[in-house]
Amino acid sequence: MPKLPTLEELKKEVIDSQIWRSVFRGGVWKDTPRDRSAHIIGNVWLHLHPVRVRKRALEWTYTWGLGGISFALFMILTVTGVLLMFYYRPTIDLAYRDIKDLEYAITLGKLMRNMHRWAAQAMVVGVIAHMVSVFLRGAYKKPREFNWSIGVLLLTLTLFLSFTGYLLPWDQLAIWAVTVGTNMAGATPLLGNEGPMGNLVGAHINNDVRFVLLGGTMVGENTLLRFYVMHCVAVPLVVGILLILHFWRIRKDSFSAAPYEPNEDKVEVWPHLVKREYIAAAACLLVMFIWSIWMNAPLEVIANPNVTPNPSKAPWYFVGLQELLVYFDPWIAGVVMPGLIIVGLMAIPYIDTNPKGVGYYAWSERKFANTGFMLGVTMWFVLIAIGYWFRGPNFFWYWPWESWLMIKAAPPLTWNVFGPNATWRLWCTPNLSAFPLWLGIPLVGGAGLASLVLPKLIQKELDGIKANLGVLGGLALIAVIMKLSPLHVSLVKGAWLIVFGWMHFYFGFLLPQRHIRALDWARYLVTMALVLSTTAVLLKMCARLAFDIKYVITIPALSMNI
Amino acid sequence: MSYRNLFYLLNFGLLASFGVSYVLDFKTEWRGYQNQYFAMAADSLEKDGKHAEAEKMRHQWPEIKQIINKDLDRIDRCTTCHVGMDEYSNPTMKNDFTKNPFKAHPNVAEINGKHPFQKYGCTVCHQGQGMATTVAGAHGRVRNWEQPLLEGQMIQGACARCHDNFEHLKGAEVAAKGKHLFYEHGCQGCHSVRGVGGVISVDLKDIADKPLERIAGYNFSRVKYKGNLLSQDDWTRAHWIMGHLENDPMQVTPNDPMAKFNAEPIAPSGMPNWTEEDATGKREITEEDAEAITTWLMSMSPETKIPREYYVSGPAASEPKLAGAAHGKFVFEKYGCAGCHGLHGSKGRRNFNAKGAGQEMETAKQDEWGDMDKGREPTLVDVVGTYTHEELVKKISNGVKSVDIVKFNPSGPTPPLYMPTWKDKISPAELDDLAAYLMSIAKKQDVGF
Repeated sequence: MPKLPTLEELKKEVIDSQIWRSVFRGGVWKDTPRDRSAHIIGNVWLHLHPVRVRKRALEWTYTWGLGGISFALFMILTVTGVLLMFYYRPTIDLAYRDIKDLEYAITLGKLMRNMHRWAAQAMVVGVIAHMVSVFLRGAYKKPREFNWSIGVLLLTLTLFLSFTGYLLPWDQLAIWAVTVGTNMAGATPLLGNEGPMGNLVGAHINNDVRFVLLGGTMVGENTLLRFYVMHCVAVPLVVGILLILHFWRIRKDSFSAAPYEPNEDKVEVWPHLVKREYIAAAACLLVMFIWSIWMNAPLEVIANPNVTPNPSKAPWYFVGLQELLVYFDPWIAGVVMPGLIIVGLMAIPYIDTNPKGVGYYAWSERKFANTGFMLGVTMWFVLIAIGYWFRGPNFFWYWPWESWLMIKAAPPLTWNVFGPNATWRLWCTPNLSAFPLWLGIPLVGGAGLASLVLPKLIQKELDGIKANLGVLGGLALIAVIMKLSPLHVSLVKGAWLIVFGWMHFYFGFLLPQRHIRALDWARYLVTMALVLSTTAVLLKMCARLAFDIKYVITIPALSMNI
Repeated sequence: MSYRNLFYLLNFGLLASFGVSYVLDFKTEWRGYQNQYFAMAADSLEKDGKHAEAEKMRHQWPEIKQIINKDLDRIDRCTTCHVGMDEYSNPTMKNDFTKNPFKAHPNVAEINGKHPFQKYGCTVCHQGQGMATTVAGAHGRVRNWEQPLLEGQMIQGACARCHDNFEHLKGAEVAAKGKHLFYEHGCQGCHSVRGVGGVISVDLKDIADKPLERIAGYNFSRVKYKGNLLSQDDWTRAHWIMGHLENDPMQVTPNDPMAKFNAEPIAPSGMPNWTEEDATGKREITEEDAEAITTWLMSMSPETKIPREYYVSGPAASEPKLAGAAHGKFVFEKYGCAGCHGLHGSKGRRNFNAKGAGQEMETAKQDEWGDMDKGREPTLVDVVGTYTHEELVKKISNGVKSVDIVKFNPSGPTPPLYMPTWKDKISPAELDDLAAYLMSIAKKQDVGF
């Protein structure tokens, strides 16, 4: 009997074979720096990494691996998504049934669907968290401006991917969430049939932007097919292209924005970075597994275009915009606001000229940028929380502990400040306007213009304490006068006035006056426009909650209400 | 923890969770039931001395079994657990097991003979979720399935879906009784059925498919069944229908008579309170009757959902040959006049905020429900005596619009019930006899004019 080779000999035999050598090039692994570098350079996937990185860039607490985790979730979504595509047919007769089959008859079908669902939700959270962390570290500043803008596009596409996927199960949750979302597109100025000036340029229900999105006038067979193609092919393709660009830029921009220190240690990416990436991805996958075993993805009754659930809510990440519909018309809440958010985010690196705070957390050096950004992020999530947990039937306010089975009275009647058919009477003419447009347009326009330029024109630094106390005192005085006046305005309304009024003053006037009055006019105006459109949301809430104002200006002839 | 250990731990965790999900996927209820059935069936074969067949039965590999009903485009996987009813696993379709899901279908020879299971499937009669392979899911007792299993006598409603004029159909006696009661008590006076009947309330043609979303939770949460409020899991269509007969509809659907939530007051449901007891403590519609009516109404699916060739028409009942007041009585019942005016016109039912004869609202009570719920429809035996034959014919022909009804409380809601315009529905000859019948039941005026 021939002598059997030892394990060592066998290993050597295999590795030295022609097959192994042709697949894995690079000779015997001796774990030298040269080996490690060659490992990165010689591998098409790994070479999107640099060969060596600085040690401090690898600290977990620096990035929390949020970008990597988002990508790991994208990969999980791709794999589970492809598996789901084997079973899913995008027609209204079969879609819901195929989901039921996944749940009841297909091996691991339920797990695949759960994982796809939960990873999609997690990816939305992950990408937003990644953006916040990059912002707070100032890592979008020169030379990374454009990569930040690509990142904002990727965030938008992530939301759009999630939104298009929402429709596919074809249950009540799906069609009504998508109905809420796409109806907003119908309110696009000029391009939507319900948008301002839409009818003037010939936008109708069967030729506007909503029609293009739906492939019809209501969510139906064509919408399902369109959303399916966008969800599975078109958008992932674009995301893939942008991701490669995003990664390549990171590598070219020296991987980490952390500021250089003299004689800084560099370590090889293989194994130091790669092992961290693997751990993050594996942990991510494990969490998704456990979450998906634990909780089932929701599935409601089969879609029925004739039966509207009350309330119908958009997907959770758009519920904040839906909550804004309480205060604004759809063209502002659903088109202008999200548009401004996307454009504003992309503009940030180009208007932020502060040279400090690049690559590290620095609140005190970037007070204005951080405060403004975090105000926006906080408002986004507070509005989502309100829309998601505090809104019940008819989108009325229900505390989370209140039963939705209880009937609530409608909110108080509202009035408009400026509009046609003025009554010249304040606050007591429900659904009518108090003052005419010829007065309103110059007044409101003038107030807006003044808010825009005033902080820069006042060159003297204001005393913060005095200014804050003065405004708070003034607002409190108005609240008390309103209470004592014949109108008997409740103190709760007075409190809304004080809170929102002060917030607008502080974030929309005092902070910019203090921090950005020295900016050049172009950057200053863009920044102020973005800041004011954020605080305008607070102001409108103030107008509604404290004064029952529906529209500040209403121009029915143009379908334009503000 | 070192990266190496973390690496091993996470990899192990991934492997384990994949293993766990595979095991969970494999350990399904139906595999358990099927294996149990094979063992039981093998044991009985063993007893009969068929050792080879028993061995084969015992070692069958469990699989999902399904019946595809092509006409309805439905997949029923019920026989995955109810193996005794699967023609391929149990060719005789008979066995001695007494418990579900193992036992054979009762009365299988006749039912399978006339409605071959392999053609029709199961849910066509039993309802439930045919695609599902879990007990709760298949029986439709999950939130996303609105057609749970029809249980007990309620299954008879399924017969009436396809069998028209089923009054003499064997096994559908309860549904037939329900249909009879429905017309006897005049339900069709307000609720038309497939366009035939009154228009005061909804057509019941698709009540068995009413989307639950259309029923306000506020109203459903007030429905009691056998004295207890229903748990949300029992909010089914059958309970909603029965809820109208086993509760005071005015309590279930109070709406907004005081305009607390709406700009205008809205009257509560106008449906009579069938739980009301008369002087002798009897109800006009007993609990048993209510279940029978519900059973029949559970057959009310839109016709478009059932293929034409599934319909079986029994002999239609012909109209009796009557004349004069006797025919008038038949007409009274045919058009459901009893729905508002009581059996034989003996007692007008309530009509919220309609001012009855001799009723006067106290001014002090005008900001509460007050006596609005004491409003009544006319009691025919009392009032028809004040009309001439011609006046009566005219009144029935033209009806009384709800806005023309004198309100009890002027600021209260419009009364929910009104007299429809009958001239397009009741033929002149019928009208004439109806008036004659009404004149014949009028109480003689002892005093007065």
